[in-house]
Amino acid sequence: MLETRLGELHLASPLLTASGTFGHDPAALAFLHPGDLGALVLKTVTPEPRHGNAPPRMVEFEGGVMNSIGLENKGLAYWREQVAPKLASVGVPVVANAGGHCAADYRLMVEAFSDMPGVAAIELNLSCPNVVGGTQFSSDAVALAEVVSLCRAATSKALWVKLSPNVPAIAPLAQAAEQAGADALTVCNTLAGLLIDWRTRKPRLGNGCGGMSGPAVRPLATRLVWESSQAVKIPVIASGGAESADDVLDFLVAGASAVQVGTACFRRPDVISLIAADLRRILAEEGLRLEQMVGTLRWPETVSC
Amino acid sequence: MPAAVASARSQLARLDALTACGPDAFLLDLELEQAPPDFAPGAFAMLSPGHGGGPVIARPFSVYDRLDERRLRFLIQVLGRGTRHLCALVPGDAVQITVPLGNGFEVAPAGEPVVMVAGGVGSAPFLMYAQRRIAAGAAADTHFLFGARSADRLYDQDAFAALDMPMHTATDDGSSGYHGNLVQLLTDLLERAQLPAEARFCACGPEGLLHAFATFARARGLRAELSLETYMGCGFGVCNACPIPTEPSGPLGHWPWARTCVDGPVFALSSIRF
Ligand SMILES: Cc1cc2nc3c(=O)[nH]c(=O)nc-3n(C[C@H](O)[C@H](O)[C@H](O)COP(=O)(O)OP(=O)(O)OC[C@H]3O[C@@H](n4cnc5c(N)ncnc54)[C@H](O)[C@@H]3O)c2cc1C
Ligand SMILES: Cc1cc2nc3c(=O)[nH]c(=O)nc-3n(C[C@H](O)[C@H](O)[C@H](O)COP(=O)(O)O)c2cc1C
Ligand code: FES
Repeated sequence: MLETRLGELHLASPLLTASGTFGHDPAALAFLHPGDLGALVLKTVTPEPRHGNAPPRMVEFEGGVMNSIGLENKGLAYWREQVAPKLASVGVPVVANAGGHCAADYRLMVEAFSDMPGVAAIELNLSCPNVVGGTQFSSDAVALAEVVSLCRAATSKALWVKLSPNVPAIAPLAQAAEQAGADALTVCNTLAGLLIDWRTRKPRLGNGCGGMSGPAVRPLATRLVWESSQAVKIPVIASGGAESADDVLDFLVAGASAVQVGTACFRRPDVISLIAADLRRILAEEGLRLEQMVGTLRWPETVSC
Repeated sequence: MPAAVASARSQLARLDALTACGPDAFLLDLELEQAPPDFAPGAFAMLSPGHGGGPVIARPFSVYDRLDERRLRFLIQVLGRGTRHLCALVPGDAVQITVPLGNGFEVAPAGEPVVMVAGGVGSAPFLMYAQRRIAAGAAADTHFLFGARSADRLYDQDAFAALDMPMHTATDDGSSGYHGNLVQLLTDLLERAQLPAEARFCACGPEGLLHAFATFARARGLRAELSLETYMGCGFGVCNACPIPTEPSGPLGHWPWARTCVDGPVFALSSIRF
């Protein structure tokens, strides 16, 4: 009932994990029922190990969290030896997520993932607000097209490009990624933000600024999903604040073909299974099919936006 | 990933009872639908109000007592938004729980003395630890040191006093037991040979106490384990929000951080930089 097509990929469900919120490896899959998750998107991997940022790395505010993990990960060599061999047998397609400092880093990561049988698709994290240079590619359409073309040439696997919300207009970037050969767009990463403790006069995160996620960012993510899906023909994957089946259906109506659930997994590690059960119930009650929902937003004719 | 996480389950529990404990804490009793598997004392749960509302992420709490197969007790000090929401629930309300998480204390075998050092709600991991030791016939070798600002913050003291083990209290204002802090009490007891210096010293409590204890334990060469607190995002190892600096070339390997939620919350003092 939840089967979803994402370009060439056939997924059991439109529900995906979001990079950095369900681990570096498949261990947390134990919380989910088979068949509820469409694909497991793993934490960003970079060519070299990264130790990440100073703590505190995550703090909460009304409606969301701010994080500055700083892409802590053990690097490609470790991943190739310790993680990749576990992926083929997990029973759900795995999406590897690539990070780097420069275009050559991304290409290197994509080449490496391309050779790993357990990796079904590759997501480029061109939009991390928590590392130096993390968003240079996602705010400049020319730089973005360059890095996506390089990666496209390096793999025949599905290539997803994760865009940043921290831009004045997303359509030109979405189009640049599509023209450079992306198979899908993930919209979007965390929003750059700052939380302060006035008593100490200091930022509450150890690294100063951070990235916002959770329910508070959902309206913004919804607008960006809508705008980017209007601008391109390739599928759009929503990411930003989804917590419930209603949120997922809203994203589909806005134009998403699949939805990543990130921060909501922290409070309930099995939330994706709960959403899947609710989705099945709603679709059965309403007599609807998922693909009938995608991109069906009825924009009020009298209003301009 | 450690076995504890593989066995952790997420479920809705029912709030059975909420009892005030001291000026700013509560005993929160939950009835789970599914009995959790066995866990070590010092293992923790992530809790949040069950039907929406409250904070976006759950909060970590040590399991204080296992009342029966499906009922768990927590000792919760009200500090901020998360704990306020939990302690405003009423019996019958749903509570979201993921349990058991973390490594907990390895219970020292009978014959090996243990000294537990608890500051305030830092007593939470030690009720079950003491129960296990007593069940193993090691009561006389299990010493419980309980400290707080004042007597009314020696939360649920009677539960510990009821156990048949040597217990000493300390208060900053002298309203109960030793007049001074726990490190001063430790010094005093060790100097008077009231405690076995070769024991395992296990500590949990406010950061200030743990730092003072760590300095003391290092200076004396004590065998020490700490149950640590950091901010947590997930509690089950997926977010990297809970780093603790590791001792280079220590038993935790060469990576500069351990994750408090899965590698801890209990660490040998020699394995971390603290
Ligand atoms: C493994 C583990 C076991 C725990 N067991 C217990 C227990 O059994 N009983 C109990 O009462 N508490 C326990 N705690 C602590 C408890 O999780 C926190 O008190 C709680 O998360 C505070 O949430 P809050 O929203 O009420 O407060 P917040 O609004 O998050 O914080 C209130 C105040 O405390 C500070 N603060 C909160 N957490 C931290 C932190 N980790 N480091 C530094 N400052 C902090 C904040 O800056 C703020 O000033 C445990 C923590 C861990 C990690
Ligand atoms: C703690 C944390 C770590 C994250 N790490 C990554 C990461 O490594 N790579 C990445 O592409 N996105 C990362 N993200 C962004 C999420 O994948 C997601 O896009 C974002 O959180 C918005 O969705 P949500 O509101 O459902 O969490 C991270 C988010 C959080 C909260
Ligand atoms: S709290 Fe998420 S990894 Fe420890």
